[in-house]
Amino acid sequence: MEIRINGTSYPAEAGEFVLNVARRNLIPIPTLCHHDGLPEQGCCRLCLVEIGEGSRSRIVTACVYPVSEGLEVRTDTEEVAAIRRQNLALLRLRAPEAERVRQLCAYYHVPEDSRFEAMSGERCVMCGLCARACAVLGTGAISTVNRGVIKKVAPPYEEAPVSCIGCGSCAEVCPTKAIPVEQTRETREIWGRTFKMAKCSRCGEPYTTEEAARHAAGIAGLDDAGFCPDCRSRRVGEVMRGVYGR
Amino acid sequence: MRLLKEIIQEILESYPAEQRFSLPAMQDMQRRLGYVPREGLEATSARLGRPLSALYAMASFYKALSLKPKGKYVIRLCDGTACHLKGEPLLLSSLRGELGIGAGETTADGLFSLETVNCLGSCSIAPAMMIGDKYYGKVTPGSLSALIASYRKEAAG
Ligand code: FES
Ligand code: FES
Repeated sequence: MEIRINGTSYPAEAGEFVLNVARRNLIPIPTLCHHDGLPEQGCCRLCLVEIGEGSRSRIVTACVYPVSEGLEVRTDTEEVAAIRRQNLALLRLRAPEAERVRQLCAYYHVPEDSRFEAMSGERCVMCGLCARACAVLGTGAISTVNRGVIKKVAPPYEEAPVSCIGCGSCAEVCPTKAIPVEQTRETREIWGRTFKMAKCSRCGEPYTTEEAARHAAGIAGLDDAGFCPDCRSRRVGEVMRGVYGR
Repeated sequence: MRLLKEIIQEILESYPAEQRFSLPAMQDMQRRLGYVPREGLEATSARLGRPLSALYAMASFYKALSLKPKGKYVIRLCDGTACHLKGEPLLLSSLRGELGIGAGETTADGLFSLETVNCLGSCSIAPAMMIGDKYYGKVTPGSLSALIASYRKEAAG
């Protein structure tokens, strides 16, 4: 099927979302809560685009809007730009310390909004990607807790989570670097816990925590734990050479 | 009083060990124990194989569930628009005087918990409030303190 974005036709597959097609064709749509490897959150409201014709046109979130034959999408109308500025202004009040939000605000020329007080010292935009990543890749050690203005991301009872394996997936996917991680060659500190780093049995570089290495090996049912990602692909290369080489 | 553990076990065993029954189980704990104890969440997590964080997210999200023990009588003071205009702030401060607690707190003797809610659906009798499952309308500081006294008496006798 084909959809039209800003007047040009692009091929699209059923089941895709507007954002996927736009990204593939390098049409810029800003996002915060989208991550290629995780299910859509659809909550940052930055990926807004306009669809439809004339009086039928409306604003939707590109990251969760499914494509359909002949869909008309506009990413750069005055209305889209105005709502985007509004949403960015609110996100900046929510997370004034978030570098990424500040960059977006500068890029889209978001004027200062002095009607509301900014939250002090906050980096988190409450997109929930971290909790999602933890549930999918980690052990489900953290989640969003509470509701309304006191909602936040935290481990149960806001104590250092026993089930955390220190894999760092939460910090990795966070679009605004809101989750603090302290790391040396020997240890990684996250969520109030300290983990020992696992060293690659080949090159000796620390590549994840010992718990996370065990967890990953368990999920994959592999015994090649003990190699950092680099050495693992190098080893695969060697195996391939052995099979196909002279 | 039966052991907390036994009650929790009984509640959990009354449902099949499936994810969709986590909320009903927590509601039962709230009803029977007045709160959802940590032991309850941990036992649910173990039985259903769900992360504790997922259950804690639910328990902290719903207002109907409380993570701390609630008082014998839960006072829900309406702070909806109608009740607010009809004098809820005055009632709130007289409850503070009467009970020594603010919204979201429980008296030291475990008798009363105070919550403010957004609308009890009884705006015609504003300012409205509930104690337990009873409704009271057109409440004044005077009638309020008489009410509290009567509940105190009920608890004592
Ligand atoms: S990326 Fe679509 S709502 Fe956040
Ligand atoms: S505002 Fe209080 S009952 Fe509606």
